[in-house]
Amino acid sequence: MTSDRTTSDPLLEVDDLRVAFHTDAGLVRAVDGVSFSVGRGETTCLVGESGSGKSVTAEAITRLTPSPPGEIDGGTVRFDGEDVTRATDSRLRELRGNRIAHVFQDPASALNPVYTVGAQIREAIRAHRDVGKRAARARAIDLLDATGIPEPATRVDDYPHEFSGGMKQRVCIAIALACDPDLLIADEPTSALDATVEAGILDLFAELRAAFGTSLLFITHDLGVASRIADRVVVLYAGRVMESGPASAVFDRPAHPYTRALLACRPGVPGGSRPIPGSLPDPVDPPDGCRFAERCPHAIAACRDGEHPARHRVGDDDHHVSCIHYEGNEGTELGPPPGEGAAWPAWSTRAGGRDE
Amino acid sequence: MRAYLAKRLLWTLVATWITVTITFLLLELSPVSASEAAFIDRQVQAGMEYEAAAELYDRQLGGGGTATERYLDFVVGLATLEWGHSTTYNRPVVDVVADAWVYSVQYVLPATVVAVVVGFAIGLYSATHQYSAGDYAATTLAFVGVSLPNFWFAVICILVGGVWLGWFPTHYTTDVPGLLSLANAHQLVLPTFVLGTAAIASQARYARAESLEYVRADFVTAARSKGISERAVAVRHVLRPASVPLATVLVGDVLGLLFAGAYVIEVIFGIPGLGLVSYRAILQGDTSLVLATTLIPVFVAILGNLCQDVAYTLLDPRIELGEGR
Amino acid sequence: MTGDAPSAEGSTPPDGSPAERVPPDIDSPDAESPDAESPDADGLDFREIDWAAHEGGRSVPRRHLAFCGVVAVGAVAWALDAAVGIDRGTRFETGVGPASIAPAPGHVDWLFALTLFVVGWAVVVPLVRNPRAAARYWRGFRRNRAAVAGAGFLLVVLAVGIVGPLLLGRPSIDLSNTYRPPVFMGGTWAHPLGTTRSGEDLLRVVVVGMRVSMQVGLIGTAVVVVVATAVGTVAATAGGLVDEALMRFVDVVLTFPTFFLVLLVVYLYGGDLFTITLILGGTTWAATSRVVRSEALQRVEEGYVTAAEAAGASRAWIVWRHVVPNVSNTVVTAATLVVPSLILYEAALAFLGFGDPDVWSWGRVIAEGRSDLQNAPWIATIPGVFLFATVLAFNFLGDALRDALDPRHEADRR
Repeated sequence: MTSDRTTSDPLLEVDDLRVAFHTDAGLVRAVDGVSFSVGRGETTCLVGESGSGKSVTAEAITRLTPSPPGEIDGGTVRFDGEDVTRATDSRLRELRGNRIAHVFQDPASALNPVYTVGAQIREAIRAHRDVGKRAARARAIDLLDATGIPEPATRVDDYPHEFSGGMKQRVCIAIALACDPDLLIADEPTSALDATVEAGILDLFAELRAAFGTSLLFITHDLGVASRIADRVVVLYAGRVMESGPASAVFDRPAHPYTRALLACRPGVPGGSRPIPGSLPDPVDPPDGCRFAERCPHAIAACRDGEHPARHRVGDDDHHVSCIHYEGNEGTELGPPPGEGAAWPAWSTRAGGRDE
Repeated sequence: MRAYLAKRLLWTLVATWITVTITFLLLELSPVSASEAAFIDRQVQAGMEYEAAAELYDRQLGGGGTATERYLDFVVGLATLEWGHSTTYNRPVVDVVADAWVYSVQYVLPATVVAVVVGFAIGLYSATHQYSAGDYAATTLAFVGVSLPNFWFAVICILVGGVWLGWFPTHYTTDVPGLLSLANAHQLVLPTFVLGTAAIASQARYARAESLEYVRADFVTAARSKGISERAVAVRHVLRPASVPLATVLVGDVLGLLFAGAYVIEVIFGIPGLGLVSYRAILQGDTSLVLATTLIPVFVAILGNLCQDVAYTLLDPRIELGEGR
Repeated sequence: MTGDAPSAEGSTPPDGSPAERVPPDIDSPDAESPDAESPDADGLDFREIDWAAHEGGRSVPRRHLAFCGVVAVGAVAWALDAAVGIDRGTRFETGVGPASIAPAPGHVDWLFALTLFVVGWAVVVPLVRNPRAAARYWRGFRRNRAAVAGAGFLLVVLAVGIVGPLLLGRPSIDLSNTYRPPVFMGGTWAHPLGTTRSGEDLLRVVVVGMRVSMQVGLIGTAVVVVVATAVGTVAATAGGLVDEALMRFVDVVLTFPTFFLVLLVVYLYGGDLFTITLILGGTTWAATSRVVRSEALQRVEEGYVTAAEAAGASRAWIVWRHVVPNVSNTVVTAATLVVPSLILYEAALAFLGFGDPDVWSWGRVIAEGRSDLQNAPWIATIPGVFLFATVLAFNFLGDALRDALDPRHEADRR
């Protein structure tokens, strides 16, 4: 892929990452040549439907992909200049939790039910810091306090089942922050929570980012969430990057038909929410050409041939789209789909609702 | 938690009572009546010949009074350790049992410890290395282990280790310096090995199955993402949660397996433990002793279940909220 | 079953998420599926076949009449045989295969024949009637080579056990032929596996032992299946006090170390193979009934029992028609895993000398060979190899069946 990135020296650079799963049905290429980067102190959002390869990408960064059946079979993941895909196991353990930490989707299952939350925070601390039990406990209490858990000094000895869902996720975030990581990878951290709790957790992420200076890779299927916290947005579909760029550019001037469709199917869009017709392509035997072609109102015969469309720049920002319609006319925008006319919602206005 | 334990304790008592009642009914309905045995016991103790006592019982048909009385006698007798008189050994049953149990425990206990430790280790390895060559080897061996009829395996071991190689004695003898002597340990090698094999295999299978439930759990991935070692992940985040369900199979299954295994092993090797005593009692029709030696494992199992419930509360912090099982 | 309800039975969801319980398609369309006689191929299952044939609720199909007829005839013949002992040795009982083979069929032979017939009816007939589903099961099953080998071995053991004693005759004492070694230890083909201390041909002994083990394993398991299914489904559907009482009783029975319960009951009542087999079945059903109950509870919660109740069906009818068929996969799987333990218990009892003295059980031969380990090791070892192989084969088979029939365990396979 091209290397025309404007952000100098990004913290994380994922280049042409490929992850495959061996299943009974055949080889599933869940992530098939994904490239993006996370700048220092930046928040990058990976967005896409479920099954688009977001979570697989997130796990592959620190090689948490379960193997077998999973396998990272191509590409590089550069963290702070170091290729993580080639790191030794012990080097990998030094990175995990210490410099790159994860927050998972479902806090109820991400916490081990048989240990107190304090023990689980201490485990993360003592994996990387040579501190005594007491110091680790004190740090655990501080972390619980920082993540907004009331009475942290007593709660530290409680078991996960004694916390509510939102509180559990705060504990998970406390664990992730235990060693003051440079990069926090949050995989749909609010999807399992109630909408009322979600806002609190998102605020917490914003707060912590400011306080700890952590870079954030945030994975979500919810464009509303992405628009609230993202600096950059990477749109995935069927294991491939469709569009990427600064959040303002992507939300204000979505270029790829898929991004537009995603924005259009959000609830509360003027003119009514429009679901995307069809479903994800067969993961074992994906179609040639653009994988979204089957569902794309702009699709032409050329879309269904050859390789995944090349990246094209849109506008003047670092805004790129993988769509055949932008070939040769970089910088211009695609019009409404033929025959759709005004029914297609206007994307020149802010559809993402970042101002709410 | 206290309420839960109290409930379990109460249940233990009820279970014991039901067990005793079932046993009594089995006895009452069978051709070999408990009251007959008890009656004869009393007469024999009083100095009468066995045959004469049996005859006397037949003449006085139903010598133990009504069924209710016999039932009460039976329950009270069991509770007060009045377990009758063994005709085989011509001693009180309680004394026979008191002399025998140590011969059983001396090799069953080590075999149990080895089986649990080794079996869990193998099962955990298998689960965390699912579908590796080691896993296939371990699961195949475990299959073989649980399928081996242990009485036949014991015979084979005697044939190979005792007859052909001559490394170990083919028969147990009490003629050793002491239970803790090297000679005693030497002659217990084969029995312990035979008993341990089956138990290791079954433990390994359980441990693998339960661990597999957790190998792919989110909290294991989460633990891995903290950067702790694979061994710590396996022990703390797979084995530890798996130990909760494992504790429940441990008692019921392992005790049953070990007791049954010990029974035939004692008969084959001639170890004068509870198994051999029970075997002789059955051959002699010594009902009081048969009852005692079959009920003791049952009572141990009931106690084991209680211990398991206690272990459960210690292993699973969630239990104090819930109902139990 | 008219094709409007394609079932995903036994398959995992296409999205690759861990297998979830797929509700079987037997539920609501029942009432309005007139042609349930030809079930949708993909939806076929053991459980659908035997009972679903009724589903139209109009007339009892001929197959069922035939089934009940054969079972009734067999039962009557057995009762007559037991009461009067007629036709001993005349091989009069046509149609009830194995029983007629033995010169004088005993209770075990009768029951064995009935068991084989029912197994054939419940397992083989549905597969033959529905080749597509059979092929699908076979494809899943074939991948487990150990289980295929095990199943093949068991079929051989079963066939040889049924026919073999007829062709070879029963072992007989021949004091001129004692301690002959087997062929591979320098013996002759007259006695391929050698002879025992009293000159019985070990091959004949082993072949008779095959029949004994199969009889004990299959009949005992049939008893387990009946009792466990009854207790489990009744507990699950009745609920409340009945459930509590039954399950507490099961708890107590499970606390009993099975071997000692068997031992005690055999000591008090034991004797012949028939009694021992019934005792084995009657003392080992508790664990299976618990499995059946939890499965039945899930089915009950899925709502079609309520639906059937709303339609005015009686409780017993609901249990028989809606719950029992739907737990039969679980029962088949659990039963296969019960067989080896029953065979082992019987062998151990025979080894200890508590078995039927008139029956050549493998365990008894091993015990007899024990005193001759030094000079005639084959007597104790050869029957043991067969016992071990049979038990191992059943274990492999049960494991594979569980993978093939129980979607919960399929999650392991990915």
